[in-house]
This record gives sequence, C-alpha cells and structure tokens, in this order.
Amino acid sequence: MKKIAVLAAAGLLAGSAFSGAVAQETIKIGVTQPLTGAFAASGNYVAQGAKIAEDEINKAGGVLGKQIQLIIEDNKSNPTEAVSTVEKLIQKDKVPVLIGAWSSTLTLAVMPKLDEYQVPMIVETSSSGKITTSGNPYIFRISPTSEMEAKAFQPLVAKMGIKKANFLYTNNDFGIGSGAEYSKMLKANGVEIGVMETMDPKATDFSAQLAKIKSTGGDTLFVTTAVEQLTLILKQAEEQQLKVKIVSCGGSNSPDQLIDQVGSASNGSYHTAFFPPWFPEVTKNPDVAKRYMDEWKKRGHNVGGLTEGFRGYDGVYVAVAAIKAAGKPDPEAIRKALWGVTVKGIYGDIHFTKQGPAGKESGQNVPVVYLVTIDNGKVVRTKF
Amino acid sequence: MDQLLQHLLNATVLGGTYALLGIGLTLIFGIMRVVNFTHGELYAFGAYCMYLLVMLLNVNFFLAFFLAVALGAALGGAIEILLLNRLRGADIDTTMLVMIGAWIVMQNAEQLTWSGVALSVNSPFPADPLVLGPMSVSWNRIYVFAVAVVLIGATYYFVNRTRLGKAMRATFQDRDTAALMGIQIDRIHTATFALGSSLAAAAGALLGPVFVVTPTMGDLAASKAFAIVILGGLGNVVGATVGGFILAFAEEIGAGYISSGYRDAMGFVLIIFILLMRPTGLFAQKERIG
Amino acid sequence: MSRYLSFVLVAALASVPLWLHDFYVLHVLITTGIFIIAAMSLNLLLGFTGQLSLGHVAFFGIGAYTSALVSLGFEIHVLPDVTVGLAPKPVWFAMLAGIAVAGLTGYAIGKLSFRVRGAYFVIVSISFAEVVRLVAVNWVELTQGPMALNNIPALTLGIGPIELSFLRKPSFYLLVLAAMVVCYIIIVRLVTSRAGRAMIALRENESLAMSVGIDVTRYLVIATIVSAAMAGMAGALYTHYIRIVDPDIFLFIYTVTMVIMVITGGKGTLTGPLVGGAIFGILPEVLRAMAIRPEVQWIIYGVLMVLVVYFLPEGIVPAIKRSLAGWKRRTVDAL
Repeated sequence: MKKIAVLAAAGLLAGSAFSGAVAQETIKIGVTQPLTGAFAASGNYVAQGAKIAEDEINKAGGVLGKQIQLIIEDNKSNPTEAVSTVEKLIQKDKVPVLIGAWSSTLTLAVMPKLDEYQVPMIVETSSSGKITTSGNPYIFRISPTSEMEAKAFQPLVAKMGIKKANFLYTNNDFGIGSGAEYSKMLKANGVEIGVMETMDPKATDFSAQLAKIKSTGGDTLFVTTAVEQLTLILKQAEEQQLKVKIVSCGGSNSPDQLIDQVGSASNGSYHTAFFPPWFPEVTKNPDVAKRYMDEWKKRGHNVGGLTEGFRGYDGVYVAVAAIKAAGKPDPEAIRKALWGVTVKGIYGDIHFTKQGPAGKESGQNVPVVYLVTIDNGKVVRTKF
Repeated sequence: MDQLLQHLLNATVLGGTYALLGIGLTLIFGIMRVVNFTHGELYAFGAYCMYLLVMLLNVNFFLAFFLAVALGAALGGAIEILLLNRLRGADIDTTMLVMIGAWIVMQNAEQLTWSGVALSVNSPFPADPLVLGPMSVSWNRIYVFAVAVVLIGATYYFVNRTRLGKAMRATFQDRDTAALMGIQIDRIHTATFALGSSLAAAAGALLGPVFVVTPTMGDLAASKAFAIVILGGLGNVVGATVGGFILAFAEEIGAGYISSGYRDAMGFVLIIFILLMRPTGLFAQKERIG
Repeated sequence: MSRYLSFVLVAALASVPLWLHDFYVLHVLITTGIFIIAAMSLNLLLGFTGQLSLGHVAFFGIGAYTSALVSLGFEIHVLPDVTVGLAPKPVWFAMLAGIAVAGLTGYAIGKLSFRVRGAYFVIVSISFAEVVRLVAVNWVELTQGPMALNNIPALTLGIGPIELSFLRKPSFYLLVLAAMVVCYIIIVRLVTSRAGRAMIALRENESLAMSVGIDVTRYLVIATIVSAAMAGMAGALYTHYIRIVDPDIFLFIYTVTMVIMVITGGKGTLTGPLVGGAIFGILPEVLRAMAIRPEVQWIIYGVLMVLVVYFLPEGIVPAIKRSLAGWKRRTVDAL
C-alpha cells in the first residue's frame, strides 16, 4: 500500500508541474537540427552559430522592440522525428518562422507540414535540388544546391586531370543528389564514371566499398557525407592504400576537424566549402565573418565547426531581417517579407530568387562556393 | 583475387574482436542465464574510458587499455551485485526486463555525459599501414588482433585450468550440486558477470580508437554478440571464438560480394537460420531448452 | 470494469474534441492512443500467452509500411527488366492490407519461432525485427530507405455523397478512440473464450497444458496472428496520421517502449496496457514541459522499469486492485 502511495504521489507531482511556466514576451524563432544521431556534429555546430547570432541581436536591442528567443529542437537525424519537432514548434510554441532541418531528407520530410500550417522555413544547409523545385512557397534556402556546387567545381576537372571518377555517398537525399549532380557534370566534361557506391549514414566500416573502389582503377574519388563518416573514410582509405585524389562534396566536411583527427591521411584531399575561415578576407562580407569567428573562438567552440556554424548564424539574421520588414511576428507577413530581404551574411549577400513551378515558387539564394586543399596539415585555397 | 585476400585479412582482424564480445556474453548468458542487455553498454563504456583516459587525461595508450578493462570489470561486478543479486531464482523474463532498464539508463547517461557527437581516440600507431603484397592493414588493427588473441587465450586458460574457472563451469553444469560441494554461488555469479563485462569493455577499448566512439555503438555490438553466442552454444568459450570468426567472415564476404548495405544483417540472418535448423545452437552441449 | 463505468469513460473520452482546443495536447492523446493499441497487442502475446516476444515493433512497422506503400502505389524491379507495380489504392483498403500483411507475418513467425523457446526465442524475435529494419533501409526502390516515404495520404471514407475526412486532428482522435475500443473488445472476447483459456494454461505451465491435450502450437499461432494484426493496425493508423514513415520505426527502442507500457501497467491484465500506455504516452510531454532533456527522461523510464519489476512485479493495475480489495475488506470489517 505504501509503495502505491509513493508512486501515486510522484505521479501527481509530475502532473501538477505540467502547468508550465509563464514566458516573457519574446519573438520566437523555431530551430530544428540534428543534435543527436548520425549528423550530430554538424547539427550542434549550426545550433551554436545560431545562438551566437541570437545573443548578438538581443544585445543590440532585439527586433520590433522585443528580444528574440530561439527554440531549438533536436530532430535526432531522423525524418519522422523532424516532422514531430516541426509539429511541436508550430502547434505548441507557435513560432512564426523556422530554421532547419539540416539534412535534405529531414527538410523534405517537414515540407508538407510547412504547407499545411503555412509557416515559412529558412533552409540553412540542405542541398538537394528537390527542396526548391517541389512547389512549396514556404521554403527559403540560403545554402547552395548540389547543382551549383558541381558547376563551381567544373573548372577544376581539366586542371586536376580527372579521367575516371568513382563515387561514395550516403544513401539519402544529400548523398544521392550530390552524386547525381557531380556525375552529370563530370560526364559532360568527358570523364568516365566508375562505380557509385553508397553507405548507410550510420555506418562506420567502409572497407567493402573502398576495396571495390580500389579495384576499379579510377584516379579520383568523390565523397559526399558529413564529417564523422568522412573522418573514417579517409582513415580507412589510407589503411587500404587507396592512392587516389579524394574530393569531399557538400560543404559539411570541417577540414580542420579532419586534420585533427585523421592526421597525415588527410593530406592531398580536396574539399568544397561555403565559408573559408582560413582566408576570410576573400569572402563578400569579411567584417561579418570576422565578428562571427571571434565570438566563436571566444566561446571556446571547436574550430573545426566554423565551416558549419555560420549557417545557423546567417539563418537567424535572415529570419530577423524578415521579421523586421514584416513589422509583426506573423508567418504570412514574414513569408512575404522574405522575398524582399537582403542580408550581408557569411554566405555572401543573401537574397532570394524564384525557383520552382510558377505560382508556388520557393526562394533560393546564390552563395559563393570555395575549393580548398589540405596540404601538409594546413588548409589552403585550391589554385585553379 | 586481391580483393578477396583483403577481405579475408579484414575478416580475421574483425573476428578477433567479435570473439571477445562473444566469449564475454557466452559466459554470462550461458552460466547465469541472464539475457544481458547491458553487454553492449559495457562495450561502449570501454571505448569511452579510452577517450577519457587518452584524450582528456593524457594517460598512456596501453596503460589506458588496462584501466578500461579493469573499470569494465568493476562496473560489471557492480551491476551484478546491485541489480541481479536480489533476482536470484527469478524467471528469465524478470531479469531480462531489469537488464533492459539498466541498458536504457546506461546508454542515456553516456549520451548525457558525452553528448551524441562522435568522438575520436588518437592511437600512437603510425598512420601508414603495413603492406603485405596486395593487402594492407593498419598497425592499429594488428595491435587489436594481437591483444584479442592474447585475451581469448587467457580466458580459455582461466576457465579451463584455474580453480575459479572450474567452479564457474561446475555452477553452469549443475548449480545445486555445485552449491552442495561448497562453491559460493553468489561470488561465482559476480565474478562471472565481471569477467564477461571486462571482455566486452576490452573489445570496446580496442575498437574505439579504430572507429569512433558514440553512445549507440553498443547496440550493434550487443546484437552481434548474441549471434555469436547462439552460433557457438551457450557457455562454450571455444564455440564463441569460432562463432566470432564465422560471423566476421560472413559479414566481410557478404558485404564485399553481395551487398555492403546488408552487412549488419548477416549476423541476424545467421541467428534466425541456425536457430530454426538447430534450436540449441551449432556447438551446444546437451541441455534443456527453454 | 463494470459495463456502466466503461460506457461513461468512453463517452467522456469521446467528448474531448468538443472542449479541448489545444491541438498539441490532442496530438499527444492521439499518439498515446495508438501506442496503447500496440501495447494491448503486445500484452496478448507477452501477458496472456507468456511469450517474451521482443520483436513486436516489426509488426507495427510492417503494418505501417504496407499501408503506406499500398496507398502511395509502388513499382519494383524483381528482375532487371521485369517490374511489379501497384497503383495507389484508397487509404481504407491500404490499412486493411496493412493489417492483413502484419497478421500474415505473425502467422509465419508463429509457425517458425515456436520451435525455439525461452531465451533463444527472445533473441530470434529481436533478430527478426532487425532484419526487417535493415531490409527497409536497404531496399530503397521499394521503401525509399532513409529518405522516408513522404506525403502519405490521410484517410477519407466516402459513403455515397457523404465524405468523412480524417485529416484534421479531432476526427482522427475519434478514429483512434474507436479503434482502441474495438481492440479492447476483441481481446476481452478472445481471452475469455476457450482459446484464451488455453493460452493462459500455456503461460502457466506448458508441459501440463500439453499433457491434458491442449494443442499448444495452434493457440500460440492464433495469439500471434491476432497480436500481429492488431499491432499492424496501430502501425497503419500511425502512418496515416503522421503521414511519413522511415526505417527507424523498426528500432528496438520502440519495442522497449511497448514492453515498458505493458509491464508497468500489468501484464496479463485487461486494463494494464491502458494504464501503462497512458502513463508512458503522456509522461514524455510532462517531462518536456518541465524542460527535462530526453536523455534524462529515458533514464527516468529505465529506473521506473527496474523499480516496478522489483516492487510491483505484477504491475500497477493488479497492485491497485489488491489494495482496493484490502480497503473494501477493511471498511466492511469496520462497519
């Protein structure tokens, strides 16, 4: 009997705490990122970057006379969970604008909900072309598409003397989309395509795929995945003596982290980047970049995350610019306002052009794509 | 042909660690009849110990390994004393549910402490691999294999040649008679659980630096351990060793020639297949089912 | 539970959409209801028949995927140039297909697995669920793998000129409530029937049951089919509510959630899964409102589970029943 009483009391206590605290008047911005799971490293960096922007903006007085509040939900690198976070952010927290969801698969998963509840979302990382061409007017992407990335790489094909290329990418929208765009570009430039191997985003052992790639005799390997798997791939490629040029695509490769964890096996590899913290002076808005980098280092965050965190940073600034232009924290007003914003961000001068079927266009920014090489433990700009 | 040789080499190295995992579980599952869901967590624990000791406390890599194994044994013993002791004699469902509860608590505690980000452990081995003709293998993996072999040998010796080992086997074969013979059943249980857990921790401490350390790394390891135990027969150390290598070979060849995506399915398919054909496992000794 | 009390309870629950306007709470109630159905189905196998099946989420997921695929339509290559395809079918048909396929899988598993007992059966059931998950991840042509099946249509029922759409939350809530009631009645009928008594005999003492001539395997298989079909229905409901499904639905952690619901509620009781499901469906939201991190939430679950096994080994419902009986006795004595 006593045991029941104890359990019942605990239950009642828990229930009474459900009433929830009374919140101060703030303007909420919803953020859904993978804080755990296969993409946790990148998701955490983006969240950290977003928080830097939040504090900066609040210190400068917030927007519309109120402070902004980021409500960050963990989508666990899982599409069903991503939908659940968006549901919660819109229904419970009543956010008028969202930033998310990192991986293309996650973003594609939540898009129907944006349409259903008519709330705009700023896409900060995802690269699949489908996101802006599906006719969803609530999507505003500031990151580049795989197609843009592949186009930026084109001049390097002849310079690097690529004759036969192999692919290794994650079997989700991010990897598959990237593989498709790059192989299309390479074929158009006369390169023979070898094998296109896939891997599960959660896999840690690629010996089978790498052995197969080694046996095809290609000279270049294009890898698309996040930094966790990239680290392992570089290590295992070295173990298997895979002597080819490795190019990592997608921009979520954190070269500093690679140098740190992989060491000499990372030398000679190429990486696409959308923000080069090693030479920020060449970016469109170096003062913004410097401000972000200084605060990042001051907070003691991992330097390898600089190449990822800026996405969250820019995302928040764009959201706030739209809220300001809209004049009120209302989803429809913000959506309309997003078409007109121009933000001097780390991605460049951010503004949205129409993309997708007429009448239901999505917004797409056109950022700059950089190429870097790891040379003797240092990241340098690839010479064209 | 080159590819095949490389696969075989990879499989041999992998087999060693799988055998460690399997032996650890076969002792617990076989002798104590506990469906040990925390086995995977001990594996992860061993890896996290290495991270803590090597990366954060700058302990020597090899010394850290010994410490990780010792800590694994201690944790295993603690689990046994705290949780399982009171359930002595309870049916298998009850112990299993308690183990599931413990597994949930351990894995989430790990995630809370270290966050979900994958961690790397630096090893002192040179980055360039050892090249043997068409095959190559990293020094790290050679070390892993060597240590695994030593541990397997040590366990075999311990179980078959020492008094404590004999007591364990006696308890497994006939608990009541063993008790009548004056064997301290409680102590045997704690020691067995600690030993099995230490082997899991060893496997994690060896593989952690090869791959990455994540809070969920134990889940897959645990299911493979179960596959190996089924393959080899409950309580059978030699069977578990052979089972570990069989699983590793099946995985490597399957991944290399059939499909890399289904690599992790090999173990499960093997379990289902074998249990349907021979409900007592491949090498099982005579025992009652269920 | 007396008939009268049940009626009142169901009526009260049915009235919820009329006065509850917080759609988020309604969302929580819907998902809790779906999990209660899954818990009831697991209870049939775990509680009444005594089979420790830890692969239950496989039936849930198979029901979900089948229903999703049939309602979306699919095309797969069985041979390099031979395709097998299915045009999209109405959702109600898809859901029935989901239930049927899940039940069929249950039949196959039942027939095969019951050659294996005890701890081995546990492992086989877990392995089965894992293999299904890996198939869902890798057979991308059929299931879209990690990219998930998206844009799954919601349920609409048309009878002549009248069309009911279950897209909005209030109507879906009522659907789930109806399904729950139906499942409850099915289980009650099954358990109190001859087949049910055979199952209980099986759970208590299998050899004895066999010795008095009870066809153990036959009743086990019946239990598995019903259990699997019911779980499949829960899965189908889930997928047409959330309208997205990905291979992580097969993760072992969901089986664990269902097991926790059944065990804490009281395995082998009729209301046990209801209580357990209600607690563990709503508890995450309570904890989230208290800004407690999900890891801590799971630690609380784990601890709770261990405590229940130690102190209330039969679950909450039997414990309450016992203390109520004791209270009744004491008050009667006092008079």
